[in-house]
Amino acid sequence: MRYSRPHVFLVSSFVLFLIGCKGCNPDPCDPPCETVATPYTLEIPPFFPPMDIPEDNALTEEGIQLGRLLFWEKSLSADGSMSCGSCHLPSAGFADPNPYSTGITGAQGIRNAMAIVNLGWASSYFWDGRATSLEEQILEPVSHPDEMALPWDEAVQKLQNTPTSANDIDYPSLFNKAFATTVITPNLVTKAIAQFLRTMVSADSKFDQWRRGETYLTDDEFAGYEMFIREGGDPEITPGGQFGGDCFHCHSEAGLQFSDYLFRNNGLDSVFTNDAGLAGITGSPLDSGRFKTPTLRNVALTAPYMHDGRFQTLEEVIDHYNSGGLPSSTVDPFMKYNSGGLMLSEVQKARLLAFMHTLTDTAFISDPRFQDPH
Amino acid sequence: MSYYWETMRRMKNARIFFEHKAQAIIMALAVLTFTSCDDKPEEEDLPGTIRLEYNLTWNGEECEIGDVQIDHLDHPVRLDNLQMYIAPVEIRNDRGEWIEIQDVALLDFGINGQRMTAEAAVGSYTGLRFGMGLPPEINTDIDPASYANDHPLSVPGSAGMFWTWSSGYVFVKYEGKFASETGNQLLEPLSYHCGTDESYRMVTFDFEETIVIQSEETTGFGLDFDAATALIGPDDSIDIVQDPVTHNAQGTILGARLMDLMDDAWTLNPL
Repeated sequence: MRYSRPHVFLVSSFVLFLIGCKGCNPDPCDPPCETVATPYTLEIPPFFPPMDIPEDNALTEEGIQLGRLLFWEKSLSADGSMSCGSCHLPSAGFADPNPYSTGITGAQGIRNAMAIVNLGWASSYFWDGRATSLEEQILEPVSHPDEMALPWDEAVQKLQNTPTSANDIDYPSLFNKAFATTVITPNLVTKAIAQFLRTMVSADSKFDQWRRGETYLTDDEFAGYEMFIREGGDPEITPGGQFGGDCFHCHSEAGLQFSDYLFRNNGLDSVFTNDAGLAGITGSPLDSGRFKTPTLRNVALTAPYMHDGRFQTLEEVIDHYNSGGLPSSTVDPFMKYNSGGLMLSEVQKARLLAFMHTLTDTAFISDPRFQDPH
Repeated sequence: MSYYWETMRRMKNARIFFEHKAQAIIMALAVLTFTSCDDKPEEEDLPGTIRLEYNLTWNGEECEIGDVQIDHLDHPVRLDNLQMYIAPVEIRNDRGEWIEIQDVALLDFGINGQRMTAEAAVGSYTGLRFGMGLPPEINTDIDPASYANDHPLSVPGSAGMFWTWSSGYVFVKYEGKFASETGNQLLEPLSYHCGTDESYRMVTFDFEETIVIQSEETTGFGLDFDAATALIGPDDSIDIVQDPVTHNAQGTILGARLMDLMDDAWTLNPL
């Protein structure tokens, strides 16, 4: 029997079609079938800058949900007693109300845990900026002996072995949904948590609402805001001085971040033998005593203050800046340590305080998307 | 005849057509190609590259941020931070037209190797100029958050260099510490933050000889900023003990004086 070329072509195509369809059957694959996570579009609040999200860690619904579980996952500590959230309490603006956080062994660090808020806009992490990405930052606390003290290989193994009688979450399945693999790695854990943290956006404080034209500031709050953005010092001593709070230089209002994310020595000490700050990373004596400028968002909730939590109240903080701070070879020139300080009256200090309270975002700290899901 | 067989017939005819005519068509295309080459309009030369290297000097000697120097009144002084907006950078062609080669950049002399490269059309050029600071149209009333984060005027790009929407950006930040007497520890703050539209200055250089930009070749210039000369010029000088601070968002005179002095603190050196 002789077949024409068109007939051969048609039959061959049909066979190929059948072979191709075999790969589409619903049987489980080994290794697992690739899944496609659902892209998540982060809404950038008004007046905020764009958020740079790493190309290799785009936000997805599944990644964010997994990140939330991992952020609050106590299995990531050696004795199963601590999660990331243990030192970043919602009630404290996702910071630690203690000057130093206590790890599972009872050991304490030397710095106050920084508040988790709007981290997706920061350019470096930790008080000394030693991590340049959120993913890099997240790597540290899990394995740090003074914090969660769990080596990463053990951490991922614990997750890999779920679900168990002690932990009914099926992490391999969740990683498969988020990252198309059931093989859990430290890299993927940090990616998921970083995705979650990038969604922790605070943009609904009274100040935000005022900027959006939705509410009014009281007279004291507005006067405090004016203090915030005025140059400090007596103009007779400091050229350009306006008897202001001089806060805006470092806690920049640009992009409503209330931080310039730079590193400064704000005159807390004259010597830095206990903690060299940025100099501990760069090795440069010019960086001695310089620490990252924290955001003022939710500042009324995030006591204690400064890198070492030495001030318990905002009043103490204002008094420190009002004093001008201590001289040293690296103290920031914004500090009025040699010109009598800011010279704020008690009324002015109270107004400044009133303004800082307008940066409290209660909707953020009580947002159910950020709470412990376990 | 069915539709199927009609289609087969047409395909066969097409095959025959290609078999017999293909060579003729290829020949015709080749002829057309060569003919069109003869009539091709003259292409513009590919541009050349201009490389600018910004260097920090103190009394003509190369220096670095953090070095302790002696100023014109014998005060020990240490520069800790020197940043500056440059906008725009332009070159002047032989017809006297200024051509922009870069819109805006933020120089940070704390980072070694402040370099910039830009394309420039092939031709002869007689001068170079740049704005020290930001021209009014990009200084105020534009929200830094509206820029992409890698732009020098964006929120992260301008960190520490932005005042407020109404007063705009800090054009020049010249910060450090000094001692009022030799031998003392350097604890006095030196903090010059110059800005406002009125402080914008244009630094202009006329080339001693016409520079020819060649296609696909690089022409380099060194632009040296002398931080000592920024404190003393032919018509004015600053005593850092008497005037250690200006944040002239409010338009203090000291800021404008500094900008005038800094205007003269630049030198251009062909590389």
